[in-house]
Amino acid sequence: MTPTSGPLALPSGEAPPRNPLGVFARPTATRGWRSWITTVDHKRIGIMYGAASLFFLLIGGIEALLIRVQLATPDGQVLSADAYNQVYTMHGTTMIFLVVMPIGAAFMNYLIPLQIGARDVAFPRLNALSFWTFLGGGILLNSSWLLGGGADGGWFNYAPNNGVIYSPSHGIDFWNMGLIITGIASLVGAINLIVTCLNLRAPGMKLFRMPVFTWMALVTQFLLLFAIPVLTVAQFLLLFDRLFGARFFDVDAGADPLLWEHLFWIFGHPEVYIMVIPAFGVISEIIPVFSRKPLFGYPFMIFSGIAIGFLGWGVWAHHMFASGIGPLSVAAFSVSTMFIAVPTGVKIFNWLATMWGGRLKLEAPLLYSIGLVTMFTIGGLSGVTHAVAASDTQQTDTYYIVAHFHYVLFGGALFGFIGGWYFWWPKVFGYTLGNTVGKVNFWILLVGFNLTFGPMHILGLQGMPRRTYTYRDGYGFNLWNFVSTIGAFTIAVSFLVFFWNIWSSYKKAKASGLKMVADPWDGRSLEWTIQSPTPVHNFDISPTVHRLDDFWHRKYQENGDGKLVRIATSEQIVQPGNPRGVHLPSPSYWPIVLAAGLPFVGWGLIFNLWLCLVGGILIVAAIYGWVLEPSTAPEAARGPDDHVTPPDREGDGGQSAATEEAALVD
Amino acid sequence: MSVLRRARLLGPAAVVALLAACAGNAPQDTLEPEGKYAKDIDNLISPIFVISGIVFVLVLGGAVLIAIKYRARDDEHFDDMPHQVHGNNTLEIGWTILPALILGVVGVLSVAAIFNLYEEPPADAVKVQVVGQQWWWEYRYDLDGDGSYEEIVTANELVIPSGEQVGLEITSRDVIHSFWAPKLNGKRDAVPNRSHPWNLQADQPGEYIGQCTEFCGLSHAEMRIKVVALERDDFDQWVTDQQVEAETYAEDDTSEEAEGYRVFTQQLCASCHLVAGVNDDEFSDESIPEFHRDSIGGPGTITDPELQASRHAPNLTHFMSRSTFAGAKFDLRRDTEECEALGVRWAEDEDDLERCLDRGALEAWMRNPPAEKAMAAEVVPGRSPRRGMPNLELTEEQIDQLVAYLSTLK
Repeated sequence: MTPTSGPLALPSGEAPPRNPLGVFARPTATRGWRSWITTVDHKRIGIMYGAASLFFLLIGGIEALLIRVQLATPDGQVLSADAYNQVYTMHGTTMIFLVVMPIGAAFMNYLIPLQIGARDVAFPRLNALSFWTFLGGGILLNSSWLLGGGADGGWFNYAPNNGVIYSPSHGIDFWNMGLIITGIASLVGAINLIVTCLNLRAPGMKLFRMPVFTWMALVTQFLLLFAIPVLTVAQFLLLFDRLFGARFFDVDAGADPLLWEHLFWIFGHPEVYIMVIPAFGVISEIIPVFSRKPLFGYPFMIFSGIAIGFLGWGVWAHHMFASGIGPLSVAAFSVSTMFIAVPTGVKIFNWLATMWGGRLKLEAPLLYSIGLVTMFTIGGLSGVTHAVAASDTQQTDTYYIVAHFHYVLFGGALFGFIGGWYFWWPKVFGYTLGNTVGKVNFWILLVGFNLTFGPMHILGLQGMPRRTYTYRDGYGFNLWNFVSTIGAFTIAVSFLVFFWNIWSSYKKAKASGLKMVADPWDGRSLEWTIQSPTPVHNFDISPTVHRLDDFWHRKYQENGDGKLVRIATSEQIVQPGNPRGVHLPSPSYWPIVLAAGLPFVGWGLIFNLWLCLVGGILIVAAIYGWVLEPSTAPEAARGPDDHVTPPDREGDGGQSAATEEAALVD
Repeated sequence: MSVLRRARLLGPAAVVALLAACAGNAPQDTLEPEGKYAKDIDNLISPIFVISGIVFVLVLGGAVLIAIKYRARDDEHFDDMPHQVHGNNTLEIGWTILPALILGVVGVLSVAAIFNLYEEPPADAVKVQVVGQQWWWEYRYDLDGDGSYEEIVTANELVIPSGEQVGLEITSRDVIHSFWAPKLNGKRDAVPNRSHPWNLQADQPGEYIGQCTEFCGLSHAEMRIKVVALERDDFDQWVTDQQVEAETYAEDDTSEEAEGYRVFTQQLCASCHLVAGVNDDEFSDESIPEFHRDSIGGPGTITDPELQASRHAPNLTHFMSRSTFAGAKFDLRRDTEECEALGVRWAEDEDDLERCLDRGALEAWMRNPPAEKAMAAEVVPGRSPRRGMPNLELTEEQIDQLVAYLSTLK
């Protein structure tokens, strides 16, 4: 962080004689770790989101295996009751907040600008802040393992069991602070991506020409924007209860513990859709490409997504059918919950109709997409069975529910995301993941997944409660628990195959030395019109969009017989990756510095308030640095010909002007 | 088409096969109801499982059939573009309305069933207050209908008359628990500061087991429930028995049970466990906040960190009329067929008591309770009171004396 020679230089070239206090130049590294920690490039941030969530997937996966080992046999002795409660709490929290949500964020960060023809998101530095804040929250949360133990109240952490009296360790404080911080990340990201979708679309990219993935991302971000604050409010109440002796959830002082349940599930149910809707978007991109057909009922797919987003706010109390709310509320929420199956069904039928009559190329991305359609259907149907509130009084808090939501979140969200990894991997990393290994990977995962979670339906109906560290012989639970444990290890094997696929495909691609083509799947949306891997500036010139699936229609047209014929090859359309006159946002030190301050505030509140001072200084310094930072780094070689207006600029037809100005907002 | 028709026939068959797989030795099976309410729920869910099964088979079968039928044979076939269909409004409206209609029917069934479950018990029904506490259940009976639940206070086992609707009022003394005897009814949360009405009915006499189903901390897995349904006559007998107070022992009595009585009253036991007729007086603490007594049906709360002991450990007045102890984790009455056949009066006869008392389990418990069941038995200074029975460092002699004393509490 060296002061520059002329950070506030005027366009005329005059420079102030010396640097004002606190003004630092923008970082200039384009390679190496420095470039990664200072990057504001949405693609690198997307990749870091993906890498971080894979790391947390490893942690959450190990926790899952510990649970399954403990429950493999009756009276398991691997984990104590206390250890089990921590492990299952952290498994749920990690998988939801640090795996599925950030994998969605990885896709959305990387793809939204590419799909709408933009060079970056609306607020690139805020985007970096989102990622580092998320990572800081994740580290704070998991640091509890080294600092006295994890949270032990379940990911839902019901009051008053989440109070100091019933959970005297600091685990829940870590949980609280960690999720407040990842909540900041989600909120910042939501605002950023909403503005990006609304303001940075390329010329002609009307809202109803946006790819379905981007649409679903937009719906998701609106859900985040409204859902996260509810959780944060509840967590602040709990924070004051636990650390400063407030009595929001103190039953002795007259508190009603249902307050926490309501607040938590008003956040918690939209949260389910926050996790699964992006995956719906992913497979809505994959299925048309691998079926050679446009998405069936595009407007219905969009509106059903929006409908799910809206209805998702009116069903939270179905988590509370046994909690003691009155019969009228139970009836209302039972009915509203059932009807959320309608737009979900519309999506399922539209995916099937897209495949109907197509030419299905059964490669890994499509297999995972079909996996989502079928596995999610199972989760949806079991969902209908406990939307029937009376039968939910038998099923709630049993393994039947564990089966249900794993079919929704693993069979739904994760299957879609893994399909998305196989689909967009060449665009992101410039090499294709092995298809045969990918298929093997899919079948192992499908078998392992159903072995693990299928039997849990039966266990639940047989009366095995969830969140129990042990069970007894003689209850009919033995066989299916053992099968489930075998399944869990099968899933672990499938992930090893996936990681091996990444590694071996990379070696193979490197050995062959071939350059990845821009459009390996004969794609439909704008990200396939640029080089692979994506050039740092995304688009040489901003594309002008004329219709939905614009790229496809520039490659194919119907002839007189209504038969689709190719009119251009991808190579003729794809941008060569030689930009001129591109201005990209400069990297910045401050997002990571600001984000680094937040966990210190967390640790400080738990251990020693002086640590809060350290965190506070980092945060305030970063905010000042951020504000005073020069808007560009003249010497930073970010993008070719930066700040040089090319002579033939007019030749672009001015198409790109709007986008580039918008990128200057930061 | 014939494949589809076959699939439609297979749907319910698959569901039935799945349900059959659930049978067997599963005492908490939700699909084998043995009481009115559980049967109502079961009758509701069966057709819904069938509908779901049919939809499942159609969608899964459809997806697999489509994947096979429209598979691209090779690259050339893949590049032979299919007919480009962008959508079909009739179909869209169809598959919006059809599921909505099916769900509408399911919704009506669901709503009707909800209100059935909430029906009020008749005025002369047995009324029991069910109180959850980390990690056991207390059952308090209101026999005279005055609204206060103090005639009988027992733990671990809820004794009810069979064939009758029993009205429960479910609450908690600390965190949220959930009361669940799957064969008799669905579950209902026990929430502190709230009292939730719920119904229970067992059609036949017998023992029905369940578990706490809302996560309630350390030993949530071992907070077990047993409902004992008796014929009306036996129930009346049980009620009479339960209202008898325990006897006290004179200072100069040197019998083993008298020694045990003195261990009970002079060690920490009596500061938490109540035996009616022995230490009732110490349990009438007027300094406990008013609302607690109203909603929880007795003084004492462990939400106050100043209180080292809860005063609310299981009431032991008729300890030997129960078949389990320690939150129903352990058998007090051996689980052999002949001992189980003795029912709630298994300890009446000295020989039966000798034969059926699981002495080993009881002694192990008194030697070191936290080693037998996960409990937060030690105080965390400034943060958490004792929750659960601590190790009282009793000598073997004291344990023998206590067992002798407890054996008199029939």
